[in-house]
Amino acid sequence: MNRRTFVSNMCLGGLATFGSPVVNFAQVKQPGRFVFVLLRGGFDGLAAAVPYGDPAYRSLRGVFAFDEADLIALNDTFGLAPGLAPLRDLWQRGELAVVHAMAIPYRTRSHFDGQAILETGIDRPVGSSDGWLNRLLQTMTGDRSGIAIAAGMPRSLTGPFDVQTWSPTQLGAVDDEYLGRLALLYRSDQVLHGRFEAAMQQQNLVGEEPMAGGGARRGGITPLMQAAARILKQDAGPNIAAVEFSGWDTHANQGLTGGALDRLLAQLAEGLMAFRAEMAQAWANTTVVVMTEFGRTARPNGTRGTDHGTAGAGFVIGPQLARSVVLSDWPGLHDGALFEGRDLKPTLDTRAVLKGALAGAFDLTPGQLDRVFPGSNGVRGTYGLMK
Amino acid sequence: MNSTLRALNGFGLGARIGERLRIGDHRAWLRAQLHATAPVVGPPAEASGAAISEAVHAFRTLRQATPQERQQARRRLIQIAAAESRAVLTARVTSERPFVERLVAFWSNHLCVSVGAKVLVVPLAGSYEREAIRPHVLGRFVDMLLASARHPAMLVYLDNFQSIGPASRGATLGGRGRGRAQRGLNENYARELLELHTLGVDGGYTQQDVQELAKILTGWSVAGLGPDDSAIGFAFQERLHEPESKTLLGTRYREGGVEEGERAIQALCRHPSTARFIATKLVTHFVADEPPAAAVDRIARAFRDSEGDLRVVSSALIDLPEAWNDNARKFRTPQDWLVAVLRAFDAAEVSEATMPLLRQLRHPLWSPQAPKGFGDKTQEWGDPDSLLNRAELARTVARRMRARTVEPRGLLDVVDVSTADPLRGFLADNSIAADERIALALAGPAFQWR
Repeated sequence: MNRRTFVSNMCLGGLATFGSPVVNFAQVKQPGRFVFVLLRGGFDGLAAAVPYGDPAYRSLRGVFAFDEADLIALNDTFGLAPGLAPLRDLWQRGELAVVHAMAIPYRTRSHFDGQAILETGIDRPVGSSDGWLNRLLQTMTGDRSGIAIAAGMPRSLTGPFDVQTWSPTQLGAVDDEYLGRLALLYRSDQVLHGRFEAAMQQQNLVGEEPMAGGGARRGGITPLMQAAARILKQDAGPNIAAVEFSGWDTHANQGLTGGALDRLLAQLAEGLMAFRAEMAQAWANTTVVVMTEFGRTARPNGTRGTDHGTAGAGFVIGPQLARSVVLSDWPGLHDGALFEGRDLKPTLDTRAVLKGALAGAFDLTPGQLDRVFPGSNGVRGTYGLMK
Repeated sequence: MNSTLRALNGFGLGARIGERLRIGDHRAWLRAQLHATAPVVGPPAEASGAAISEAVHAFRTLRQATPQERQQARRRLIQIAAAESRAVLTARVTSERPFVERLVAFWSNHLCVSVGAKVLVVPLAGSYEREAIRPHVLGRFVDMLLASARHPAMLVYLDNFQSIGPASRGATLGGRGRGRAQRGLNENYARELLELHTLGVDGGYTQQDVQELAKILTGWSVAGLGPDDSAIGFAFQERLHEPESKTLLGTRYREGGVEEGERAIQALCRHPSTARFIATKLVTHFVADEPPAAAVDRIARAFRDSEGDLRVVSSALIDLPEAWNDNARKFRTPQDWLVAVLRAFDAAEVSEATMPLLRQLRHPLWSPQAPKGFGDKTQEWGDPDSLLNRAELARTVARRMRARTVEPRGLLDVVDVSTADPLRGFLADNSIAADERIALALAGPAFQWR
């Protein structure tokens, strides 16, 4: 008996006998799916969604100015970096929103504080240890559950609502007989048996292909995104997932076409497209948001990289978008327009975009969304973004 | 429930094979551990005061360094933290007073710093636990809190070292400071001191109190971070201190320099909310995720009546009837689990290979995501993926341990299982490989509880 058949037998029997509040697999859920992809380290929005049509672009970016011919033009002002070329397909289908000059609602150039604010969804670095995805789960009604596709529990999912985690196996496989015996032992533990069976079921859903540990740098984000899709597309599985992708803190040698940053962007694009393919029919109700804690300096630094900045870019992806669009109140790149003379100026709050995306993905009122992001009553969601 | 195992696992850090037969009366065994202050651990040679100061200076004076030099300086900081981590974990694994080591871990997490927050915390976190926490776990809470407040690790972690009184000489005359340090009041530490260290979030303070406490604590800063200074340590900088009197929780504090903050911290320790908040946390840690109200009352009273004498409070925990009934059990955190595994095998030290395991289990030392510290409830650690992680790790550890010729059935000494539990059958089943039987004991549900 291989792991797959063993696990399915066990889970069918197990879940019928021991329905557990922890595991929501056996229930039918709403059709909406939502994935939050966090690019940790501060990704350079100006090098990803390139404002090549801005008159100041070329002089400002200097060694980092792309040749127009290398870009995937979206309109007269913006083009995607060459590494993001696979996303052209999404753009043409009306499934890609590029959000620009966006920032968290608090000015900081600290990774720690920036990620804390982005992940807790509040407007200051201290005051809440709950993540906004967890608050979303608390606020939604009906069958719902969340899962972290990450090596650790991300802050965004932390909180009183019970969520699951999944990460690629890092220690080498364990054999079926061993897992079978463990499953038997766990049956007699009222608190843990449901959790152990959920783990076995996730293991089954994502298959047994060995995956490179860590995700990001080595194997790219693709295995993680595929795993996320296999878990999310089930009729009865989590409907909210958080994925992380680190390595964006490009202080040195970030390069141009084919350079270090462009290769990371290619991994991101490949991962997103693999996710879309794997979701199959379930893609129709799926929304993916890609964000980072801050953008980077508008000018290159002395080591052919960029330093921690302020506003940057992000993406909202999925068929629930009203249309493909570059969503930005573009502040411009001329000297007077830069924030503190060095960074792209923020004109759009991350929470506005998240509210807009969530309202399209799930049936949520603006009042509910204000509860997901406490203190954001004055921040209007970009509700026109979605269908 | 077996009370001896509860003492060894729930109050201690995990039973060793054979130990349950040796310790006699379980309460007396625990009480005897409280007789003297916590044993000294380290510092390891790499983490002497001079070595830390030197490594920090090397890192702070890097402006024109090459990337290689930068990396090297950073690596030195990490090496200090690694040496400190190994020393602490070795103490937990080998301790003959494991209740005291658990208390060190508890208080260190209660007043946590995090190496993930700022690079400067990396070389200081170990010394913080050694110097500010460990000496006081059987002493007075107020002394621990004062030591924590004065320690460079805490001053840096929660930013107090760069908090400047808006009306202080430093703010009004100082002009531009060096670097990009924020100029002005920083409430971070004051807020956490109220919310997480003493009164608790519902303890009855206002935003106004946070600000007043932040003003009281202005000037509590760190020496030894500039290029000319030598040893790193606490420094009260009068010129950054906010003048005039302040009012905290209805009490007026007349201008009094560093002594103002000391009085404020002493008052916070005496506040009834502090006794209740700390009692709740202790009972949650030692008894159950849902702390029984009567037990919390009793510990809060012990805290209040003894004016925060932690030896009295620790002893009161042993005397709680709720700690010994069938509902008393806690899910092992990853650190607890790994330490218990190593204790079960009577490991003599913690090797370097152990550190990555803690990272994989998401629980390296001194690295919580937020100042709240790591949680210790089932909900925070008992997720499906973590159980699978432990199953895989147990298999790896058991394979390595086979050379030690552990008799699988010996592990029945360290877990509380009923006579009908199928684990007994597995451990006695010679048709299953010995290392798999060991792994089943370590990864099975019984071993996940303490």
